Amino acid sequence: MCLNILCLPNRRFCTVEHRAKSLAGSSYVAVPEDSSFLQLLLTELGLSGSHKSYVAARDDCLYRPRSPAVELRLDGKGTLWPVLALSQAPLILACLPLVDIPSEPRPPLANLLSVSQGLTFLAGLQTFLLGSAGNLDSEGLVSRMATLPSLLLQVCPLGTLLDTPQAVTPTAPTVPTSAGAQKQPAWKTGLHRGRATVNVAVVETVRSMQYGSPTRQDLWDVYGTVTCKCEVEGVLPNVTVTLSLPHNGSPLQDILVHPCVTSLDSSILTASSVDNADGSAFSGPYKFPFSPPLEPFRLCSYTSQVPVPPILGSYQLKEEENNLRLSVSLKLHESVKNSFEYCAAHLPFFNRNQMGVVDVKVSSGQLDVSKEKNLLVWVLGQKFPKSHEVTLDGKITFSGSSQGPSDPLCTGLTAYIKLYLKVPDTTLSGCFVDQHSVQVYSSAKPRIITSRELLSKEYYIWNSTGPAPVSSGQMMI
Amino acid sequence: MAPNWTERISAFCRSPSGFLSGTNPEAFLSELLRELRDDRASYGVKVLLLSPLCEYAGLLCATGCAGEETALDLMSVFAQCPTRWAQFRCHLLVALTGVLVCSSCASGRSRASLDFLDLLLQIAQDAGDLHGDGAQRCLRATACDCLREMEASCPGLLSQRLELLAGLRQQESCRLHQAYVGLQVLVLRNAVYQLTQEAGAGAAHLKALLGGNTSAWEAEQEAEQEASQADGGDSAVQSSLVLGPMGRVPSLHTGPDCKELRSVLSSLLEESYLLTPLCQAALFHRLIELVAMVPGIPPSILRAQLLRLLGTNEVCLLHVTLLMKCAFTDSLFSAEDEAFLLKRLVVLSQHPLLSAPDKLFYMDCILHFPENRPIGCGDSDEALPVLLTPQLASALLPTVFNDSATLLARLNLQALVYLEEEGEEEGEEEGRGLAYIYEHLTALLHIVEGGGSRDIVVTFFRAAYLFLSYFHRVEQYSALLSQQLCRLYLLHTQLAPNILNLVQQTLHSLAGCSWAVGLLRGLQGAITEAPLDQLTLPDLSCHLRVLARVAEEAKISQRSSLGFLSAVVTRSSLRASGDWRLGNGVLGVCRRLLLHPSLDSLLIPLADILLHLACNYGDTDIQDHARLYYALLTTVSWEKLSAVLAQSAAEGGGQVKRPTLSGVMAESEGLVHTLSVHRAETAVFQLSEARPQPQPQTGGPPLAQDEGGGALEAYRAQFREAGSAPQITLQYRLTHTEPPHPRFEQLFSIRLHFSLTDQNYEQLQDVSVPCLFTQRPAPVLRLTLTPRQPYPTTIHVSAVFTSSDGLTWHAPVPDIHVSFQHTFLPLPVPPAWSRARREELFQELWEEMCGEASGCAVSLFCCQLGGAALKALLQEHFLPFLLSHPSQEDGFWVLLFLPPRSHLLLKISCEEDAVQFNMATDNWQLLPHINAYLLRITCAQDLPVT
Repeated sequence: MCLNILCLPNRRFCTVEHRAKSLAGSSYVAVPEDSSFLQLLLTELGLSGSHKSYVAARDDCLYRPRSPAVELRLDGKGTLWPVLALSQAPLILACLPLVDIPSEPRPPLANLLSVSQGLTFLAGLQTFLLGSAGNLDSEGLVSRMATLPSLLLQVCPLGTLLDTPQAVTPTAPTVPTSAGAQKQPAWKTGLHRGRATVNVAVVETVRSMQYGSPTRQDLWDVYGTVTCKCEVEGVLPNVTVTLSLPHNGSPLQDILVHPCVTSLDSSILTASSVDNADGSAFSGPYKFPFSPPLEPFRLCSYTSQVPVPPILGSYQLKEEENNLRLSVSLKLHESVKNSFEYCAAHLPFFNRNQMGVVDVKVSSGQLDVSKEKNLLVWVLGQKFPKSHEVTLDGKITFSGSSQGPSDPLCTGLTAYIKLYLKVPDTTLSGCFVDQHSVQVYSSAKPRIITSRELLSKEYYIWNSTGPAPVSSGQMMI
Repeated sequence: MAPNWTERISAFCRSPSGFLSGTNPEAFLSELLRELRDDRASYGVKVLLLSPLCEYAGLLCATGCAGEETALDLMSVFAQCPTRWAQFRCHLLVALTGVLVCSSCASGRSRASLDFLDLLLQIAQDAGDLHGDGAQRCLRATACDCLREMEASCPGLLSQRLELLAGLRQQESCRLHQAYVGLQVLVLRNAVYQLTQEAGAGAAHLKALLGGNTSAWEAEQEAEQEASQADGGDSAVQSSLVLGPMGRVPSLHTGPDCKELRSVLSSLLEESYLLTPLCQAALFHRLIELVAMVPGIPPSILRAQLLRLLGTNEVCLLHVTLLMKCAFTDSLFSAEDEAFLLKRLVVLSQHPLLSAPDKLFYMDCILHFPENRPIGCGDSDEALPVLLTPQLASALLPTVFNDSATLLARLNLQALVYLEEEGEEEGEEEGRGLAYIYEHLTALLHIVEGGGSRDIVVTFFRAAYLFLSYFHRVEQYSALLSQQLCRLYLLHTQLAPNILNLVQQTLHSLAGCSWAVGLLRGLQGAITEAPLDQLTLPDLSCHLRVLARVAEEAKISQRSSLGFLSAVVTRSSLRASGDWRLGNGVLGVCRRLLLHPSLDSLLIPLADILLHLACNYGDTDIQDHARLYYALLTTVSWEKLSAVLAQSAAEGGGQVKRPTLSGVMAESEGLVHTLSVHRAETAVFQLSEARPQPQPQTGGPPLAQDEGGGALEAYRAQFREAGSAPQITLQYRLTHTEPPHPRFEQLFSIRLHFSLTDQNYEQLQDVSVPCLFTQRPAPVLRLTLTPRQPYPTTIHVSAVFTSSDGLTWHAPVPDIHVSFQHTFLPLPVPPAWSRARREELFQELWEEMCGEASGCAVSLFCCQLGGAALKALLQEHFLPFLLSHPSQEDGFWVLLFLPPRSHLLLKISCEEDAVQFNMATDNWQLLPHINAYLLRITCAQDLPVT
């Protein structure tokens, strides 16, 4: 249960406040008025007074578990807790869940169901207002903000959360169903009519930290999502999607499923990335029976431990008198399909003057130099050469008169290459959805589309001649 | 009049207290209701008008009576609203629920709330929209939610409707069934809870409850309910019953025979999949409570759903699974399940696809993991589950790429892991784990050195504090940290406040830890040994700040600080610049040194520095202060000096310090302290109305001699010559609020400032009161108001005064309210006028007012009042205004003069069993006020007589 959604317009729920008062008795703390609430919240989130380097109320070093629930200290009138806050520019969304157990001594968050409900709701609200893509559309935001009051009347009329705000308004025709028939799920806003289509997309993302150091192990991991869009007739149609792995593929781990999945085999859930990998683990096929909602949704996600990273790189910098000598090599692993939609390496240089002379040669691809940003962009194009290896060598003088960009992490010889790549129609884990394995229990023969792709994210290759920040303690133990 | 409602409503919602200070809740509420009933207003505006009622019902309808009336009004609006305005009707239902719940009408089962319940049930049963549009369905959904909210606020309200609700849920096949599920399960849960509170309730009662056959124990139950409400027992019913193995859940002993309940639960569980995740979580929460209360139902009934819930990506569904574990431990979760769940939490706490708040929440769940066999019983303390091995926890090691909240949470978790290890074995494992944590701290420190943002700086200091709070005893690391901080400080002197804050917090919370003193010593060394030539002015002032803090530590030798100060003051460039701040910084250190226990040994170098400042510094103020310090140092013994300079630290840092001599001479804070006006949060004194003394004729038209002729003519003539406007005088007593704060027992030079809240009166002058002591009689002050319109008003008051310790304060004073009767004045005519002449004037005025003159109006007010009561009423309220003799039997004439020039004439007569107040006035806008006034005084009069 959730009270007070703040994002201006603010919404208070007086009945929930009333209940909070009766539950908390003498320890009840009234919710302050909007302006002071906002001020306190900004201070607590460290967003106020940005021109001052130190403000006692904001920057005190005393450790208090802050997120996801912060406490607001009202001067002399107790503290307001737990305020959940989600901030993603330009919005700060906050709510104050009802504490339905004795509040003295302060209970752990884990005992309050309203907290996780509030988190779910705020995340849904954020997605609704900002969209999941992440690029801001301010006009759309304003118009969606305007629909909030009527939307809240549906999803949370009296403070009890019923659903997260949905982008699609229920305009889809709701077919009258005869009494006694199958009940329509509350998360299904309407019924589809027409040809059945099922679209299943597997997207894998690879992350890596490569140090090129004998003492420090390189790290990489892969996670995948399976997104579905199903247009199938019926109130509660059954669809089954099966994920398969190639022979000897390492098992999918940490599988999380969408709530519309009707049942799960316990063996699917057993493999976990925090366990010691067990050779005897279940390795598929992974069956997910579900009844689809109308909108596209993420059916499941997984992680996988692949034996090698797709591209192994080495990066060496040497500081010479007036210039910096670079030597880079990137090697595509032979198991990875050599057909990219794009592949580019970014080499940023921080805390130096702007670049002067750039004398750099590449064995393949082309090099773009952005002197203002102190950035080299090495566009590798669609294919690696036959040798599967490309190199970059040369030197740069930083003789510009003005300062380039700065970064507190990359001082001295601490520097990195960041790789951006996308490979269509492949996955690193080998995971795939066979068209014929998708079962739809309906009369008409459905159209089934499946796709795969591999993306990179946070793919770093650190300069091996300088200190690199520790990114995981895994290998310490 | 068409006020801009959009603006007014948003002004209200922005700050209800500010908005209501300009009017009052009753007036605003009645305006809202009037506008809602107005057919001309659009429904868009009406929806807006409801929002204050939806959000601040408690504020607008504070009393049950107001709530009841408002609810009746809103219901009539609902009844008259065409069905096509579905949105508005939904908002109306929500507003009604708010009003009834917040004004406690619902818990008192008032007439209106019962009517409203019937209305809601009627809407909820109206399945006529089966083929209809979504609008009607929306109304039905809202009605269900309103019912659920009413039940949640007043548990047991619907327990006799369980069978009906169950039927409604089963019938419903469109998406709405979710609303009915939520309603049914809550009502069921509350009803079962009530049964558990009844002695001797068992399977039969439960069966009757589910079958709707509750008449047998209804009466009994109602009596119980009332009893429980009387002692405010509602909150126990409303509290969550998921308590874990240590908590005691009330239970209902039914034996194994509770088929009916079991079948209800099974059907709810079967449908759970059809609900949205948020509603599923709420449903499971209620089901957990139900199963926990009825031991006859085994927890295994929930097992079929478990696998689905364990694999979920929804935070609230996994959370409710944890609550299940908390409630049923090993009766539902085996040891393997437990291990699996914990692993799952670790995975989720660092899953790349989850949002940061979700991950942090999962991490919190690890720290409060509901173990099957918990060792400790601390409920709110963070403790690691036994199964969380360092190996498993290593997935959650912090890295510099984490956001600050994640980083700190992970650091905290790791610290707990290694703290536990430390106790068990002094093995290699521990050393390595701690080494990793420290390495991480160092990595952060490097980023700060590299010029990290404010966020990183703050995060680093929090991490450092966290590290120290767990490991300050590990000498090896804490000493290293101290060195690194000193180095960091020299690189970034602007971090002085952060470092001093770290010192303060470690000193404060880690008792017996000498680390902070060590750090200060290190800083002193770093500052004093660094070459002075390269120092910039900002660096120097940071250094002085740090040294001032160092000088407060009795255990630290201050010689090197003095050497540094001496070098600073003799440096020619600085001396010549005569920067006041810098000089002040130096003096700040000196002042603390004057209090240092080793002052004797510092005497000569300190005297040299002060003398040097006094003679050579380029700022006169600094010179003067230095001279004073010098004089004190050289002439007063240390004991006396510390007594003189003692800033009463005992009163606490944030508290007000006493302005001793140090306040005048200290570097700045004390000075600022005594010179600034302090703000008292609450009222220190109040104005209470003193009994009015015989009303003197103040102001008023000059009392011309009676020149004969028409009474009205003569009377009017006065006004033409009138100089000052007529005024009313009110008397107030100034008293301390109870209980008086010891600091404010004696107050001096009080100046009261009045600010008006409307345009009906002329601005008021400030009023001065020389003093206010608790033990002396309260001073009386007169407030003279010059009305522009004789309406009631509220006046804000604030005060500035001096307390006995010499500080100046600004404090709020409770508002004063000028009521309608305060504006009554007797007829302003020369005292020489005879009764007959006055009556003549009355008659003439009356006739004029009954005529067509603009603004005039007549009215009639009736009430039941005995003769004696009427006499008493006249005696009490109208005596100064009575024209006819009080003993007169046939009727009484009362003439009220309301400045500046309104009149209100009353002819009061007894007619059989009723009293008639015939009124005439030359200002029709006064009628509602006089009506309200008469209503009030006659009601009050009623009681003693009948």
